Amino acid sequence: MSDTPLDLLRLNLDEKVYVKLRGARKLTGTLQAFDSHCNIVLSDAEETIYELVDGNLRFETKTSEMIFVRGDSVTLVTAQPEE
Amino acid sequence: MSTTVQDTTATSSATFLSNIIGKPVNVKLHSGMLYQGTLESIDGFMNVSLAGAMEYYEVESSSVIHKYESDVFLRGTQVLYISEI
Repeated sequence: MSDTPLDLLRLNLDEKVYVKLRGARKLTGTLQAFDSHCNIVLSDAEETIYELVDGNLRFETKTSEMIFVRGDSVTLVTAQPEE
Repeated sequence: MSTTVQDTTATSSATFLSNIIGKPVNVKLHSGMLYQGTLESIDGFMNVSLAGAMEYYEVESSSVIHKYESDVFLRGTQVLYISEI
């Protein structure tokens, strides 16, 4: 049981997480670090960018070994669901 | 009359937030995404954690977009409102 929402992030350190960002983007990766601004460092990260092209939902992915995400674009963080 | 005014000052909004911990809530973000779940915790930044969160767009009568199996962290700056169901 976590007493503050940021404790929930602490519990997910070193675990695979799913991060929703502003602008129809999401990131998955291993949570290496975070702070109170929600700046987040992920390793083995995969970014998925969604876009509508002629009414069809398309998505594109990009991978990076280590990524620093600025906190202001973060909207949601949760443990990555098992596939 | 003066007590009514006092009851609606900052302390009572903080009291509201601490009183709804453990209850089912709706949390709407600026993006229009609506999260319905049990309020696990909340802090002074209005960061929120929800258990058993269901994701909707704008209204809960729309279809469920996603059901989160694990606790969800929502960033305080993105929060539009929190309401008890």
